[in-house]
Amino acid sequence: MVAIEVNGLTKDYGNVRAIESLSFAVEDGEVFGFLGPNGAGKSTTIRTLMGFQLPTDGGATVLGHDITDRSAMIEAKRQVGYIPAEMGFDEGVTGERFLRYQASLKGDTRSEELLELFDPPMDREIGEYSTGNKRKLAVVLAFMHDPDLVIMDEPTSGLDPLMQERFYEFIRDEQAKGTTFFFSSHILSEVQKICDRVGVIRNGHLVDLEDVETLLERGGKRVSVHVAEPAEPSAFAIEGAHDVSVTGDEQSAQPTAADGSGNTQSADGGEDTSSGRDGTSVSFTYTGDYNALLEHLIGYDVLDLDIEDAPLEDVFMRFYGEVDPDREPSTVGRQADV
Amino acid sequence: MTLDVLRYEGEHRLKSALGISVAFTLLAMLFVATAPLVTTNVAASAQFKQIMTELPQPFIEAFGLQSMTSLEGLLAGEFYTLMWAVFFGIYLAYSAAGSVRGDIDEDRMDVLLANPISRTTILVETFLSLLVPVLVASVITPAAIYVGTLFIEPSIAVEELIMVHVLSIPYLLCCGAIGLVLSVLLNDKDTAQNAAIGVLFALYLLQSFIPVTDYGWLANIAPMSYFDANAILLEGTYDFTSAGILLAATLVLMAVSQFRFTRMDIQ
Repeated sequence: MVAIEVNGLTKDYGNVRAIESLSFAVEDGEVFGFLGPNGAGKSTTIRTLMGFQLPTDGGATVLGHDITDRSAMIEAKRQVGYIPAEMGFDEGVTGERFLRYQASLKGDTRSEELLELFDPPMDREIGEYSTGNKRKLAVVLAFMHDPDLVIMDEPTSGLDPLMQERFYEFIRDEQAKGTTFFFSSHILSEVQKICDRVGVIRNGHLVDLEDVETLLERGGKRVSVHVAEPAEPSAFAIEGAHDVSVTGDEQSAQPTAADGSGNTQSADGGEDTSSGRDGTSVSFTYTGDYNALLEHLIGYDVLDLDIEDAPLEDVFMRFYGEVDPDREPSTVGRQADV
Repeated sequence: MTLDVLRYEGEHRLKSALGISVAFTLLAMLFVATAPLVTTNVAASAQFKQIMTELPQPFIEAFGLQSMTSLEGLLAGEFYTLMWAVFFGIYLAYSAAGSVRGDIDEDRMDVLLANPISRTTILVETFLSLLVPVLVASVITPAAIYVGTLFIEPSIAVEELIMVHVLSIPYLLCCGAIGLVLSVLLNDKDTAQNAAIGVLFALYLLQSFIPVTDYGWLANIAPMSYFDANAILLEGTYDFTSAGILLAATLVLMAVSQFRFTRMDIQ
């Protein structure tokens, strides 16, 4: 049984084609990540699946219900939880009052338990909530009727890292109980952490559909290292490093700042360029083994080191190249049921 | 149907309903308090009588001058025709125009539609929540007027006072329904609300001034033509046919709104 089946789904907004011929399926009990940069068509897909808008072409089913059939979708929503990107909760009422309202509409079997895990200030007015608190309330509201399928549009934006971890853990627990998840994200590491499979969307097209291990290999980190000594790009041509770029004072022996390298310290004026803070900035995307990277770095006098997730757009450029929105995607993933 | 949306939205309207009621009560008190002065001194004066004989008849009617000789006339000609019918009508149209469109603009509609609830239910119950200000003001205002008249010389016929409110309800709902249609037809909350004010005011002007022209029949499209406070308060005649027409118009406008709302994309 499939929880969500999408078949050639297309949605135009006037002259703008937001999504085109999307086809994939989300299996029962899996956590499916819908990954893409901002503006790729993730929200359009989700809003169409929720029945907020009708597709221009193609169709889809949610828990077996046709998304274009309004009364069928009412049935479907008894078993669907939804976390919207924009949390449009009434600002003028307390969290408690709003929760009671939502409970009257869809039922409430577990809000107490959820409020212990995620604890938004229920007796305060929602208008006073921070984004993080609104997120917590959104999670409680999405799960309070114990849904079989939860659709989430960028659910962790605005949650602090600790709460994000709690949320990921919660998703794993829920999945173990059989709940299916479909959620969008533009953060690769998030998708890597909790998803079984990932659909990659770009410019309204599904460009790839793969399991998360494959994606893990493709992700990579953005490494920025500041070393004291001069370095050539070729010195960082280690395995797994891509797009190496070197900036900074490559001839640090020269005391003059007129080397035109764009070194920020020399541009500041008044900075002593011969001080120990001078050096070379090297940055690259790294997809190789971390031990190899650290062993390589040990040969340098490292002044600063920053390793973070590679921006999604970089990853996409590297692996999928430019996608012409007017062209049919040539890659895999036209049909997902394997 | 458990009316959850109606109960929630109605609760939201309670505060403004009380505010509206207080405002109307104060206005009505102004009329009641000045009534003895106006009806005895002004209306009985020689100048006033002279004006009444010199002015053309349509003019006297347009300004409700003949009604200035009694408390009922004052209330009917000024308070109920202008304050209650026009301003309350505009307020309800304005509120209704902001309701659905406002929920869409501020992303509340997504949260609501994520629940197992039909769009028709949402629309109908949101509209019916307008009954809260209508009913609250329709109880408080006449009650206050009645109590007020206990302290002045001219008294007021209670039955007619109640009936003017009862028969104004279909009229007020019709004004709200005009706002509801604008709410689902226009793409922006402010536009819908401004349009509601404009349409209602235009209809009022149409009803006031077009009857003396050759296109008098055009006044029939204005809901104000179907609510005549003068006839109720001065003559004690209740026009239930007109009330029926207003209710029918309300239902037609709701059907148009429903047709549109159930088919539109929520973006």
